[in-house]
Amino acid sequence: MSETGAALRSVAVIADSSLGRELAVVLAAGGTDVRVFGLEGHGGSVGNARDVAGLADAVGGAELILDAATWPRERKRDMIVQLDDLVSQAPIASVALTVSTTEIASWSRTPERICGFGYLPPLADAKIIEIAPGLRTGDAAKQATERLIAALDRESAVVSDGAGLVAPRVVSLIINEAAYALMEGVASAEDIDAGVRLGANYPHGPLEWADAIGIDLVYAIIKAMQDEFGEDRYRPAPLLRKMVLAGWTGRAAGRGFYSY
Amino acid sequence: MTTLGVIGGGTMGGGIVQVAAQQGLSVILWDVKQQFLDGSLNRIRGFLQRGVERGRMTQEELETIMGRITTTTDYEPLSAADAVIEAVLEEAVLKQEIFQNLDRVCRPGAILATNTSSLSVTQIAAATNRRQDVVGMHFFNPVPLMALVEIVQGADTSAETMDRAVQLAHELGKTPVRTADTPGFIVNRVVRPFYNEALRIMNDGVASYPEIDRIMKGLGFRMGPFELMDLIGNDVNFAVTSTIFNQYFGEPKFRPAYQQQRQVQAGALGQKTKRGWYPYE
Repeated sequence: MSETGAALRSVAVIADSSLGRELAVVLAAGGTDVRVFGLEGHGGSVGNARDVAGLADAVGGAELILDAATWPRERKRDMIVQLDDLVSQAPIASVALTVSTTEIASWSRTPERICGFGYLPPLADAKIIEIAPGLRTGDAAKQATERLIAALDRESAVVSDGAGLVAPRVVSLIINEAAYALMEGVASAEDIDAGVRLGANYPHGPLEWADAIGIDLVYAIIKAMQDEFGEDRYRPAPLLRKMVLAGWTGRAAGRGFYSY
Repeated sequence: MTTLGVIGGGTMGGGIVQVAAQQGLSVILWDVKQQFLDGSLNRIRGFLQRGVERGRMTQEELETIMGRITTTTDYEPLSAADAVIEAVLEEAVLKQEIFQNLDRVCRPGAILATNTSSLSVTQIAAATNRRQDVVGMHFFNPVPLMALVEIVQGADTSAETMDRAVQLAHELGKTPVRTADTPGFIVNRVVRPFYNEALRIMNDGVASYPEIDRIMKGLGFRMGPFELMDLIGNDVNFAVTSTIFNQYFGEPKFRPAYQQQRQVQAGALGQKTKRGWYPYE
């Protein structure tokens, strides 16, 4: 619920993964009228979040558009371009994990209404959601994104715009290092996870964590950092890429570093 | 009943001695001077005494545990040990000299383990004529509270020695994980980005360090990276990163951050100097 008292009445969610779905469910549970346009194919309404068949049906009349498309970037770009023609006013809160807010806004004729945000799924484990205004993000879009986060009953942290933000950047690289260690035969997945949980008191082992987040998203975040920062320290472990190509993307897929 | 030798009665060695004695093993503690041995026994007794005061054990149980520990400044008594764990300073020459002495006095088949966190087990084993029996057993500080032991397989460590070291870790009540002899083993390597990338994020101006700490704790980490650097000591944390960077021959992802070096140069080491990233009273 918004602390300012101005609860969000209606939100259109563009979802391409469980990340968009979980946002839609939590918003709908809080009383917001939520229409979901699913890009991932399986669709199906969850809770009070209604799936609609077309993007136009989802966004028409919505107070805020929540673009939860994560990757690939071309699909996210197509969506932003279409939104320009469908709705001219509503602010767009866009997941900016695998591409910067400034770049997302560069695809739009109305960059000022786009504000990026991000967190590492699952939402149940994220107490804080990061807001990353781009260079051309306007105050109204930033304030609307803050209201969105309040409606999700999460704290917000405003950070500077850039691929990976803060927590997803750090955790993705820990996972990347664990994937390299596994690939190089340093230790088994079970021993890497147990080592980090017991030796460093982390909330999860890095490989089981990757399975929960989705290895495709983790890979996309690391790849985006490599593209944006251009440094060798951000090169993704080849094992992660192979697992994405094999469809072994984690818990939701039934197989990742572990089988489910 | 296993008889365990421990070389070095400092923080790590003393912790291993205490845990072993509490688990019912006979322990022979070796150090260079009697005063170090006395100091170590006093620290262990003090730790256990607090347990008595809190009702976790009786005075009689404490005396039984302490009675399992003998001390020596000679190597010869270690001939009675089934296994020896070395836990001295992280200096290769010093450790190699110790392992030459262990090679001389220990009985055939005894496990010779090093608690090194940053040196190569292979390099230490090479000082002996029984490399197949030399293994890494990397404990975590504080030993009585941290369950993990990394069992490190050097280039010549036998599979049987690995299995026996795993068994010994279980006897000590610990959870062993197996790792190859690579820089940082599992934990010190995989956790590097927690510090290094946090420093980088600060340097890039993405977020301030208190904000980075808040965000990471929001995800379930018990401490933020900068709070943890202050607890570990910026000097120790910087040295571990530098060692791993050098052992990987300059691998860029392990490159240390000059901002942390400035903290070290300024003497802002963390909680132990009352000043690090944060002030401490």
